Amino acid sequence: MIVLDNVTKRYPGSQEALSNASFTIEQGEMVYVTGHSGAGKSTLLKMIAAIERPTSGTVLINNQNVSKLRASALPYIRRKFGLVFQDHKLLYDRNCYHNVALPLSINGITGEDAGKRIRAALDKVGLLNKEKAMPITLSGGEQQRLAIARAVVSRPAILIADEPTGNLDKNYASDILDLFNAFQQVGATVIIATHDALGAARKQHKILHLDHGILTQPEVSA
Amino acid sequence: MSTWLIQQTQALRLVLSRFRHNLLSTVFISLAIAVSLALPVIVYLVLDSFSGVTTTLKSESNINIFLEPNIDHTVRDSIHNILASHTTIESFIFVPKEKALEQLAQTTANQNILAGLDHNPLPDAFFIQLSTLDSQSISALTEQLRTMDGVAEVQIDNAWLKRLNYLLTIGKKAMFVLVILLGFAVFAVIGNTIRMQILTQQEEIEVSQLIGATKSFIRRPFLYAGAAYGMIGGLFALLISSGVILLFNQSISALASEYQTQFSLHLPDFNVFLTTCLTAMIIGLLSAYLAVSKSLFKSIN
Repeated sequence: MIVLDNVTKRYPGSQEALSNASFTIEQGEMVYVTGHSGAGKSTLLKMIAAIERPTSGTVLINNQNVSKLRASALPYIRRKFGLVFQDHKLLYDRNCYHNVALPLSINGITGEDAGKRIRAALDKVGLLNKEKAMPITLSGGEQQRLAIARAVVSRPAILIADEPTGNLDKNYASDILDLFNAFQQVGATVIIATHDALGAARKQHKILHLDHGILTQPEVSA
Repeated sequence: MSTWLIQQTQALRLVLSRFRHNLLSTVFISLAIAVSLALPVIVYLVLDSFSGVTTTLKSESNINIFLEPNIDHTVRDSIHNILASHTTIESFIFVPKEKALEQLAQTTANQNILAGLDHNPLPDAFFIQLSTLDSQSISALTEQLRTMDGVAEVQIDNAWLKRLNYLLTIGKKAMFVLVILLGFAVFAVIGNTIRMQILTQQEEIEVSQLIGATKSFIRRPFLYAGAAYGMIGGLFALLISSGVILLFNQSISALASEYQTQFSLHLPDFNVFLTTCLTAMIIGLLSAYLAVSKSLFKSIN
């Protein structure tokens, strides 16, 4: 369970990126974070994933107060999450297999056990036949799916994706969203940020709409 | 296997695979380190070889005793007998004053001077070669000789040994300075190399931190790399210094045999091997630690 209470984030020398946000996300929920670009979606996700700490307010993840944790404890909190970044952040100096291997090696999982998990993750996103391929040779949609494979390989309870369908055409985008739905159905909490408010609204899931850093009700049209 | 051990082998494997992938640059960096390390090692080995000489050559120390002029031949004979029975004396020769004058007169320049003298100014003398290197027994012997009847003067002929010792002391200081300066060079080379590696791995480091890598997880491979550069550099340094010494030893032995002695420079022994490699590893480790602490962890937290 993720609880944000009165969370404000201000970066030095700029306005509040997020103002007094309060909400709860239950285990196994699917949540869309919507809003125009620069509305604070990425900031919100970073706060949830313990990458950034709030300027004020509390962030609770499974009843642990991230704001109060020592810096040295943060890496262990971050391992609870699977992250899909806006810009993929794939490593182009190694093949698909080794890209997916990274979170496992951080967790100290190597060898046979890791191999099985990596292939399972690649299989889930339909890239099993590309394990030796370099990421640069993949299409945009395939790169996105590789990023998802890396996010899910250590079987996180919470999956967070920042604009996962941002640069993809409609067919690819719905493929990707189907993938996230599948993860939610097996019990993962899924949090997706998207500027595509209408598409998100149609999905009948919980929506957190941000407008200039303030949580508001989304304008649901028709 | 414990988590700790898994983490160490994981980091070590990563370092080895990085080294293998960049074999050429690894070799060149290690060579740069090796050259810096080889110089003090060679200087040390040369000094060490020469201090060996001073201990062996001490046995060839001489004591010269000059007798009083107009000494009675019975006193002279008793001195002769004492010297002959003394255990610390290897051998000695007696040079009577007539013979000394004869030898002196062999050069024409001296002949002119001697022509002006009305009597032989030279004393009788014993030239003694010692069998011991022990300074205590040498000084005991010297004391005994000084107090003997008929002995005018006792000279210990080890001035050149003193000079060699002073030279060795200067050499040791020079080596010390060299070790410090080149130690800094190694420190800088390894530190820079690690900084470069951090730059090329910036993306991986960033992603790893975002998905939950601890600082020590990120730091560890770089520390191993620093220590490994030091160790490989140390090994190369020993190869280089051994090669240099073997090269010089042929000529040095030839030169030494002209002086009827046997002398050659020492090759690095196990202690030198251990000291060089350990020192280089520690320098590498410290340098890498500094580089990592300075360059990493700026992006996050």
